[in-house]
Amino acid sequence: MRRVAIVGAGLTKFVRYAQETPKELAYEGVRMALDSCEMKLSDIECVVHGTAPDAFDGVHMKGEYLSDASGAYRKPYMRHYVGGGTGVLSPIHGWFHVASGMFDTCLVVTEEKMSCAYPHPAGAFLTIFDHTTEQPLYPTLIWIFAIEMNRFMTTHGYRKEDIALVAVKNKKNAIDHPSAQLAAEITVEDVLNSEVMAWPVNRLDISPTSDGAAAIILAAEHVARRVTEKPIWIDGVGWALDTAYWCTRDLYYPDYVEVAARQAYKMSGIREPSKEIHVAEPYDPFTYKELHHIEGLQLCKRGESVQMLVDGVTQRTGNLPCCPSGGALGVGNPIAATGLMKIIEIFLQLREEAGKRQVPGKPTCGLAQAWGDLMQVGTVVVMRS
Amino acid sequence: MALIERYQKTTDISYWEGQIPMSYIYTVGRAGEKFFREMMNGRIFGAKCESCDVTYVPPRTYCEKCFARLEDHYADVGGKGTVHTFTECHEAYDGTKKQKPSIVAMIRIEGTQGGIVHWLGETHFKDVYIGMSVEAVFKAKKDREGGILDIKYFRPIK
Ligand SMILES: [Zn+2]
Repeated sequence: MRRVAIVGAGLTKFVRYAQETPKELAYEGVRMALDSCEMKLSDIECVVHGTAPDAFDGVHMKGEYLSDASGAYRKPYMRHYVGGGTGVLSPIHGWFHVASGMFDTCLVVTEEKMSCAYPHPAGAFLTIFDHTTEQPLYPTLIWIFAIEMNRFMTTHGYRKEDIALVAVKNKKNAIDHPSAQLAAEITVEDVLNSEVMAWPVNRLDISPTSDGAAAIILAAEHVARRVTEKPIWIDGVGWALDTAYWCTRDLYYPDYVEVAARQAYKMSGIREPSKEIHVAEPYDPFTYKELHHIEGLQLCKRGESVQMLVDGVTQRTGNLPCCPSGGALGVGNPIAATGLMKIIEIFLQLREEAGKRQVPGKPTCGLAQAWGDLMQVGTVVVMRS
Repeated sequence: MALIERYQKTTDISYWEGQIPMSYIYTVGRAGEKFFREMMNGRIFGAKCESCDVTYVPPRTYCEKCFARLEDHYADVGGKGTVHTFTECHEAYDGTKKQKPSIVAMIRIEGTQGGIVHWLGETHFKDVYIGMSVEAVFKAKKDREGGILDIKYFRPIK
């Protein structure tokens, strides 16, 4: 397999209500990615698109609808979809096209316009549950997370006031992100005093619904060296799904993230992730999820993620910065675009182009991870400068 | 074996009814904002890509061929075009018989590579042909709402 580099990236602002159509959003992301590395659409040999449920944008065959706006006019094009895990599957999907030798360049685009869904995109999730045993109870997504968070907290003896520090950290980090939707200086008390959605999940424990798009350009080594002096290599990829029956998963631990991470680490030759990964973007749609995923990613031992957080290890200036971008909690969460936003953050961090968000110590190895589908997919990408 | 049994009534087997509780609000977007505001003035707008020599109707913010930004290249393309292809519909989208069949045509707007799908009016199915010249008939100004139905239909140019 050939080496594959990320050579350019584009990211729109994340907002609650975009005037732009989904196509117009995708175009803006792609235009920025092309401009970032001075490439033309004619330099792109194939396109992959990641976007979550058609039910968000309210367009069936959404991948096809978005194709021209994603630069795929008369080009090979594929859409993939693993729910919230989509944004980190997208560079993996593109990686295959280039690593295989089939194409020298691949444009990877992700888009989500959740504001189309009315009254709330949460309605789209009702039918992901079993239609005879679960749907009659009218479950919501927040239910699942509340149940999982409780199991996670109770198993490890974590306290809500400690987990709330994830929201404080990420929303503060987002202040330095030009795309951010919910950047803010908040306190633990603010999180604890915010509205209870489904105990133990409060409003400030949750990322917002968002509109946005992101794009990156992948290139084979000989093209990458020509395009940029600072290619960032996709060095390890992994993804895995757990059982779709959520009642047969333990929930306190994301096995699917561990399986995906181990696959990526093996490919990248990483033996001690907590030492060899310099900066990470674990998926943080909920406060506890960042911690849950840090444990699944083997960045600490099970049951130690809260201590890591309390000790400041995951702060931007800590030994293992997590979500220096501001994450889904701070930058926003246009589902598929969020994962790619995280990939772009690691790309910028490893190029030392993250501006005020730059983590110290010249990081050379980073990781982005996302999670989704029926809450049982893990997607992981390891990148190196 | 269940898969080959033939149930005559759905009530012979256990079931429950469900629905996906969703509705949608679609913004018209940046190019759509121009298109529909001009439509309220009785004008049809397009967007021209100079380098590809293509005019898109309805207008778009970008050229799909070269990815040039077209927002500074919106232009009035007039209300005339030709029937590119057409059909007569006898059934509604819910499968019911239409009281009166409608003629639907793809209209290529003159001087552009783009078009509008709309109804044909003031004509009969047997008189319509591919290549026929047609023009847009707008609703009265006070009735326009900034939507594609501000055009009532296209009719033959006499
Ligand atoms: Zn063009």
